[in-house]
Amino acid sequence: MIDSPPVAAGGFRTALRRLRRNPAAIVSAIVLLTIVFACFPGAPLWVSHACNHGPSDQNIQGTITENGHKVPVVRNDGTPIGPGLRACYLLGADSNGRDLFVRILYGGRISLEVGFISAIVCVTVALVLGILSAYAGGMTDSAISRLLDLIWSFPVYLLAVALATTLAVGGLAVGPLHVSSSSLAIPIVVIAVVFVPYVARPIRGQVLSLRRMEFVEAAVATGAGPLRIMLAELLPNVASITLVMLTLIVANNILTEAALSFLGVGVPVLTPSWGNIIEQGYASIVTAPALTVAPGVAIMLTVVSLNVLGDALRDALDPHARIRIR
Amino acid sequence: MRRVTGFLALATATALLAAGCGSGTSASGSGDTGAPVNGGILRAGIPGNPDHLDPALSYTNEGWEILEATNNGLLTFKKASGGAGATVVPDIASAMPTVTDGGKTYTFHVRPGVMFSAPVSREVKPSDFKFSIERLFRVDSGGVGFYTGIVGADSYAKTRKGGISGIVANDEAMTITFHLTQPDGTFNDYIATPFAFALPKGTPDKDISTIPQWRVATGPYRITSYVPHQSITIRRNPTFKSWTPDTPNGHLDGIDVQIGVTPEQSVNEIADGQLDWYFESVPPDRLTQLKAQYPKQVYPFVRNNITYFFMNERKYPFNKLDVRKAVNYAIDRNALVKIYGGQGTPTENIIPPGLGTAYKKHNLYPYNLAKAKQLIQQAGVAGAAVTVWGHNTDPTPSAVQYLAGVLNQIGLKATVKTFDESVYWDTIATQKGDPQIGFTDWNQDYPEGQDFIDVALNGEHIVNVGNNDLTNTNIPAYNKMIDQAKRMPLGDARNAIWAKLDYLYMKNDAAWAPFMNRQWPKYVSPRLHGLVFNGNYFELFPSMYLTQ
Repeated sequence: MIDSPPVAAGGFRTALRRLRRNPAAIVSAIVLLTIVFACFPGAPLWVSHACNHGPSDQNIQGTITENGHKVPVVRNDGTPIGPGLRACYLLGADSNGRDLFVRILYGGRISLEVGFISAIVCVTVALVLGILSAYAGGMTDSAISRLLDLIWSFPVYLLAVALATTLAVGGLAVGPLHVSSSSLAIPIVVIAVVFVPYVARPIRGQVLSLRRMEFVEAAVATGAGPLRIMLAELLPNVASITLVMLTLIVANNILTEAALSFLGVGVPVLTPSWGNIIEQGYASIVTAPALTVAPGVAIMLTVVSLNVLGDALRDALDPHARIRIR
Repeated sequence: MRRVTGFLALATATALLAAGCGSGTSASGSGDTGAPVNGGILRAGIPGNPDHLDPALSYTNEGWEILEATNNGLLTFKKASGGAGATVVPDIASAMPTVTDGGKTYTFHVRPGVMFSAPVSREVKPSDFKFSIERLFRVDSGGVGFYTGIVGADSYAKTRKGGISGIVANDEAMTITFHLTQPDGTFNDYIATPFAFALPKGTPDKDISTIPQWRVATGPYRITSYVPHQSITIRRNPTFKSWTPDTPNGHLDGIDVQIGVTPEQSVNEIADGQLDWYFESVPPDRLTQLKAQYPKQVYPFVRNNITYFFMNERKYPFNKLDVRKAVNYAIDRNALVKIYGGQGTPTENIIPPGLGTAYKKHNLYPYNLAKAKQLIQQAGVAGAAVTVWGHNTDPTPSAVQYLAGVLNQIGLKATVKTFDESVYWDTIATQKGDPQIGFTDWNQDYPEGQDFIDVALNGEHIVNVGNNDLTNTNIPAYNKMIDQAKRMPLGDARNAIWAKLDYLYMKNDAAWAPFMNRQWPKYVSPRLHGLVFNGNYFELFPSMYLTQ
């Protein structure tokens, strides 16, 4: 919810200065950048220079040399090797002999991609609906608002699981467009859709207050059409709140992806994501806790840093605003 | 029959069981020292719903374990562990059948005074058995293949009208006679399976699992409540009076089955004293620790089991022999055994080693990834999309992912489709489900090679629903060999044909990729005793008792 007008479009330099003075923001940005760097350029670099196996390479019968002894990657009783200071299997292996550290790096790519892309899709759709609804008013506003109410009325995870399960059977077909059930687009669309009302509502509220302001009336007086007013006058004035929401919704979406994948309806099973890795390691939580703890820590660090960064961004852009997702 | 998750004792595992469990033939429980104690409620756990609680439809170990305690047939497998448990003995029949007409006619005398529980509350009649077997055909039971050798059964399967002419029931004389089209050495075994258990005439032609008024018992226990995804409540059947030592009264007052307990959770709950017994085996990764920590509560349980990947010969690319052979070359069976915590023996045979001379080890497909890749190229199917089916009970997901990874390695494009185990077995057994390739396993219905070759590979038994021939294998020449073997008396000559067919199917058809004879270690509470691991009905509830 927003209870004060945002900063003007030209205030971003001031905001950036405020942000640089916030130590929590600096730390969280460094953590986030480290994770992004480790997952994107870092993952293939690690695979090509430190160990020669990819995230899906199964090495159940393999051995590694440790302290001069050959150690099986997976013991005869099925117990995988645990964490250790070594290039290969730094965090140990799973029961299929896959390198956990490599899987976390590659899994991070998927989780971050799903989180960021679904957040961008979600915020874009929410912007269009929020601005259109508030500016047009009347029937358009009623129709869009009821649609958002409808989505909002479902518990988020229940709706996400229902949509994901349905789409996991036959994929998504809209006219000539067909998305395979094993495509990453499915969790991206599902996660984006369920969070649209949580972003569109505050934007609509913001635009409702903005549309009565003098600069909008001035634009109308100069003969500007609705499209121009929405794009040139209203959009820049909701940019700051949108940016803040984007960071918060990315964190939310990463968590949602992990939850859906844990429940088996998110990212396809063979594609490593942080949620999938936790799900696949959960059965061994007693004997091989690293399989669930390590990806859990990766999720926690990412989400905390995104949330702290989002809060700092909010404070920097609009010190009086109180914006929260959910 | 059943695919996975329950248990089977191996005929040849008597010694192993005796070492682990005490007596090899009867009650052999955890720290079992004194006389059995009556009373108490067993707290049991199961990961998902049993497939069915209808004797005509259940074809899983979980279902049979429960139905063994609640229902009865004309004959039964002796309620014992090990080799003794493979013997067929009279149950509701007063004696073993009289076999005449060169082995083609079986006449049973039905014991008077055996009662159906309320609300039916009447004596079991021969016509109830005729009704129950005919009902199998009307409800698309997975067990119909056992009874198609009865005169008139084939035409009844098509018309479902007029009854099966080869079953003659006389309620006055209390006799029932089965006329077979040809001699069948294992007909008594078929009659001892739960498919032939007595249900009262009038039982509807639909799944009675959740229809309490038709869930009628004849045995020592009855199912008083079944709430899918929540619980099954089993209590003593007040109308039951034991008529032979093979239909004992049972020691427990009842069994409370909690549905939705994961294997990992079961270990924790048994250790915490919240659970006594679990339908599944110990999670592979916990076994070593449990054996060390609770040696008297962990039991080995070896079954006549074959765990394998099936390839549907009707589906591209597995309609090509080279592709099926490639899969057999590509899987490392020792690696798969590791996924199961080492609780099994690698194999590429269809028939398990516990079936005597029916098992003859072959080595047609040594692990050879390069050869597998070459066969895929040769078949011209590189890049073909393949979906691997599996269920969600550990460690099956890991095995399925292993296979998918291997298929990707050899040049196919694999994805995974995971089902809840409670619906998985029914889904893969329907032609409509139409899987390409998937995980399954098979445990004996009765201790004979026929149960593996005839039931699971004879193309004459392919049906649309309840299909056990998951690969849709249908090779007329081999079907004839199977029919020939079925006419032979039990023994080495007959076994030799099963062993030969095992070899021929794997060499020339390769629609199965067998990888392991699985073992099923069990972990139970310290107060639970009297465990009997029966080869056909698995763990027997009526033998169990509690000491605290």
